[in-house]
Amino acid sequence: MSILFSGRASGAKANKINFIRRFVMFFVNHLRQALFSLGELWRTPGSSLMTMAVLGLSLTLPTTLHLLVKNVQQVSGGFAKAAEISLFIRDSATSQQVQGLKTILEGDPQIAAVRHISKDAAMQEFQQASGFGAALNYLTENPLPDVLVVLPLHTEPAAARALQQQLEKERIVEFAKLDLEWLQRLDAVVLLLQQAVVAIGLLLLSAVLLIVSNTIRLSIISKREEIEVMKLVGATDAFIQRPFLYTGFWFGVFGGLLAFLVTEVLLWWLRGAIAGISDLYQSDFRLQAMSLQEFGGLILLAVLLGVIGSYLSVRRHLRAIEPS
Amino acid sequence: MLQFDHVSKSYPGGFVALDRINFRIAKGEMVFLTGHSGAGKSTILKLISMIERPSTGRVMINNIDLSRLKRSQVPYVRRDVGIIYQNHRLLMNHTVFDNVALPLVIEGFTGKEMVKRVHAALDKVGLLDKQRCLPQTLSGGEQQRVGIARAVVNKPPLLLADEPTGNLDPELSRDIMRVFEAFNQVGVSVLVATHDLGLIARMRYRTLTLKQGRMINDGLMPVQEPL
Repeated sequence: MSILFSGRASGAKANKINFIRRFVMFFVNHLRQALFSLGELWRTPGSSLMTMAVLGLSLTLPTTLHLLVKNVQQVSGGFAKAAEISLFIRDSATSQQVQGLKTILEGDPQIAAVRHISKDAAMQEFQQASGFGAALNYLTENPLPDVLVVLPLHTEPAAARALQQQLEKERIVEFAKLDLEWLQRLDAVVLLLQQAVVAIGLLLLSAVLLIVSNTIRLSIISKREEIEVMKLVGATDAFIQRPFLYTGFWFGVFGGLLAFLVTEVLLWWLRGAIAGISDLYQSDFRLQAMSLQEFGGLILLAVLLGVIGSYLSVRRHLRAIEPS
Repeated sequence: MLQFDHVSKSYPGGFVALDRINFRIAKGEMVFLTGHSGAGKSTILKLISMIERPSTGRVMINNIDLSRLKRSQVPYVRRDVGIIYQNHRLLMNHTVFDNVALPLVIEGFTGKEMVKRVHAALDKVGLLDKQRCLPQTLSGGEQQRVGIARAVVNKPPLLLADEPTGNLDPELSRDIMRVFEAFNQVGVSVLVATHDLGLIARMRYRTLTLKQGRMINDGLMPVQEPL
């Protein structure tokens, strides 16, 4: 398009290239630009690798912390059963009454499951677990009550507590026990951890943004003359900034991949130690690795940071360079 | 086609580079612009290529006032004006071919059409055999001709040259002027800024003479006079 010479067609339009071909060429051109930027990085391996390494390591910390929180949540998720309500049945109640209550509770829409632990079963378990073994045989009668263990459908503290109060009103129930406090404490710790991760993550991500933007700034300054020449022969800002944006894109891709690799190595290294601990606690806990979505998210985030960092720099510095 | 209408340019600090300049250049005309260094030759070229904007007055191309154009439109103006610089302004780490192809790449040319045009432009300046060379390996005159090939490769209707024969010997200067004449003969308007009075005298074209920012002569140069 020519502003000054109305009859003067130029560029692709002058060649009467049809629309579809131009559409295809648009992508081909972008691919070419992207590969060109990749080539530029390849030609200056030292500084490119440095930038990618800084990026990768800066992204590794938030990634690792994220996995840590994820694993802690997995562990604490296993404690959902801790919201169980134990109904201690009065001694006077008959076993028919207990069975009746169990049936009623099973029909309650607020309740997920009901389990009956009879006096005798409880005694046996106590004998095995407590280590008093033979001493308990001296008891003349079983002092333990029947217990109905109720698992609420909604395990949030407030809902569980409401249910507990409601169940306590049952006639044959001596009292209902809901041990929530330690669960609430754990939740609070997990929340704190999560927020710390978010804060640290944000700090490191802004560091990444600044690093990319500064690297691109240096690259722009070192190409000052080239940019002036391009402006003189009629290049638009969009045309000039494209290779820099692609450079940022590649920084993101490689930084993200590096962060992934380092995190995997860290996990592999920790896996042995964690298996040891969970064996000691007789838990079948296994460290969860990064899922495919998380990997995709990491790369996407890295690329986004690379492009945005580059764009910030390009916007500020390309305008400042004008031929004289 | 090109028109300067009471154009003045002063710089911060009070230096007046141009003082109420008026002239017109018709389509297909070849004109010289001369004067001592500092007389305002380069400023005129900078105003046309929108590197600078006038303090007062209007620079018009095809009756479009350049000062009314937005910043984002400047690149499109520059695509219509081929400019040859005294210091060549080539990309030193790209080949001659890449340098000449740059304006075409910017306009979105690709493939065969681009190669064809670059070869045509290089052929006109006689550098077809050097297309794979880097500019550093070429002589000053050859670099100048690469600059000319780049300026004409997208066939602009207006060609500006700033001291195109600056450091060249007379023989080379004449060759380069012949190249300009050849473009002029196919309808391109050419404006050549030079202080080479001998060259101007030989060529016998309309000449604009500047002195301290004022236009003191417009027309054929009279026989050599001290400026």
